[in-house]
Amino acid sequence: MSGDDRFGPVLVALFQGVLYREHAEPLWQSLQDLQARVRDYGGAMGLELILDEAEGYAYLRQRTPVAEEPELPRLVQRRQLSFPVSLILVLLRRTLAEFDATGGETRLVVSRDDIADQIRVFLPSTANEARLLDRIDTHIGKIVELGFLRRLRGPEAQYEVRRILKAFVDAQWLGEFAERLDAYAHQATARSEEDP
Amino acid sequence: MMDYQQLLTQRRSHPAWRLLAADHAPMIASFLHRSFIAPNVRTIARQQLISQLDDHLFQLHEIAGESLFPKSAVSYLDDWASDERGWLRKYYPQGQDEPHYDLTSSAEQALEWLSGLSQRNFIGTESRLNTVFGLLKQIIDGTELNPGARIAKLQKRRADIDAEIAKINEGHLELMEPTQVRERFLQMASTARELLSDFRALDQNFRMLDRSVREQIATWEGGKGELLQQIFGKRDLIADSDEGRSFRAFWDLLMSPSRQDELGKMLEQVMALVPIRELEPDGRLRRIHYDWLEAGEVTQRTVARLSEQLRRYLDDKTWLENRRIMELIRTVEQNALALRGHIPEQTCMTIDDSHPDVALPMERLLHSPPFKAVIREIPLGDACPEIASDALFEQVYVDQGRLLSNLRRVLQMRRQVSLGSLVADYPIEQGLAELATYLKLATQDVVAVIDDERTEHISWIGSDGRCREASLPMIIFTLRGKNDE
Repeated sequence: MSGDDRFGPVLVALFQGVLYREHAEPLWQSLQDLQARVRDYGGAMGLELILDEAEGYAYLRQRTPVAEEPELPRLVQRRQLSFPVSLILVLLRRTLAEFDATGGETRLVVSRDDIADQIRVFLPSTANEARLLDRIDTHIGKIVELGFLRRLRGPEAQYEVRRILKAFVDAQWLGEFAERLDAYAHQATARSEEDP
Repeated sequence: MMDYQQLLTQRRSHPAWRLLAADHAPMIASFLHRSFIAPNVRTIARQQLISQLDDHLFQLHEIAGESLFPKSAVSYLDDWASDERGWLRKYYPQGQDEPHYDLTSSAEQALEWLSGLSQRNFIGTESRLNTVFGLLKQIIDGTELNPGARIAKLQKRRADIDAEIAKINEGHLELMEPTQVRERFLQMASTARELLSDFRALDQNFRMLDRSVREQIATWEGGKGELLQQIFGKRDLIADSDEGRSFRAFWDLLMSPSRQDELGKMLEQVMALVPIRELEPDGRLRRIHYDWLEAGEVTQRTVARLSEQLRRYLDDKTWLENRRIMELIRTVEQNALALRGHIPEQTCMTIDDSHPDVALPMERLLHSPPFKAVIREIPLGDACPEIASDALFEQVYVDQGRLLSNLRRVLQMRRQVSLGSLVADYPIEQGLAELATYLKLATQDVVAVIDDERTEHISWIGSDGRCREASLPMIIFTLRGKNDE
């Protein structure tokens, strides 16, 4: 009976967002116990449960359609990202990788200024520093919305880089991004060659 | 380590030397000592540390009568925690949004050296020579392969002990001279303090070991098998290092309750001796074993955490993936740089959301304008004295005792009586207050039943001569202890 009671809340949590062990220990425990049921439930809808015990997070994602099965409509939205936002995600991923390589801590915290300093070199140079920072704040807001950064309580603009970034900005995503940038570069040179 | 060039570099780069050479060294050292060393604290939250530094600076300015240290507490703190200084370590503990600080091991070294400058001048020699002998003996005994030799040594020791027992029985009880006692105590005290200050250094060493292993892993060009061979095929590098093993042994020794008990008792006994009391030793020595426990616990957690994380980092998937990720990121960055003049305006990439979409339009709350408290600046004046306060003093005092004796007298005749009958025999003299007191007695002090279904009408003559009537639920008083059916 108690298994039934716990199933609902776990599902709701997964439908609302990522389930983190550190923020919801009892729900996490329930998920561990009811894994099989959650997978079945999600599977029926074309959703796959990703449970990373080491990192301590779990979420539902769209299952890649298999050849024999009928394809179900997508339940997980695809979010559109602008160039600066995409690039910031890459820079955050790099910082996280370097952070892990030096060891010791697991929580990476960056400031808005850190992010600004890193992305500056990729954006066209501008004399209007204030406008640049405003734009970066907007981009950061988007990334917080996506769930990859978490604003820390406190007076200064500090953000924790959530480790779930690793699951979404993975090798495949990066490869695709690299290709697109390459394509853009070719388009740009093609265009400039056309103009007399 | 002691040649000219090395020392030049050391002076520039070692945080301990830099602290000693800093302009404001006395202010900084006194603050760091009282915040971390004196209370034996390993972590302080940022806001609290800022506030403590504020106090410290304020006190110093008060005494000096002028502002000796121009910067704010926040800017000093951020400076001391920067890489250039290296006196404070800043980190985010799990589950906390506020950064915390700990003293670095180098800063602690500097502080140790400074407090050593004012040590007493008693430089004992005998007890330390004994220690040298003792340690050498331990090594030799512990590495003696020949069982015959071991047994011979133990037999000699037994003979010595027997001789000593014989002497005591004859009445020759050899006691230590006060000088010898003091000397040994001072040696014990300085060793104990050194041990305590070593924990931060240990912590740092473990972290550096972890870091060097990760660097090796991250920059490894060959296959994974060779990497594992390179790091001795061990999965638990931190705990298996020399320091790790020694710490483990120390911890096991210290954690046994009987050992702790023993230490505590011995410390008490020693500190009570006259020659020791004359030294006026630091009272904190009495609880040094607790200080070791606290400090050791932090180090213990560090070792455990580092080992676990390293194990994870060495995990198959992680290792390979990290290599590929870094390569791909480099490619992305190069391509992005090549585009610098022509940033694409449209959507560049897509990314999946982290959960299925659930649209809940009705869950959106209606806007409620934020509450703005209106605070007006009106000077507070004195209250006008002409308030009629007579009402405060016109309380009616109803004597409960009188009512109770009324009740008792009636209950001598009958087993139970309703409030209405009671006041028929003993009319209400003090109006509503008396009625209210009867109600209070009925609910709290005497045995009574209150029947909501039936009502009674009670009337009385008020002090102004007018007749008043109240209707209330039926109250029936009974004698205590009688259980009527």
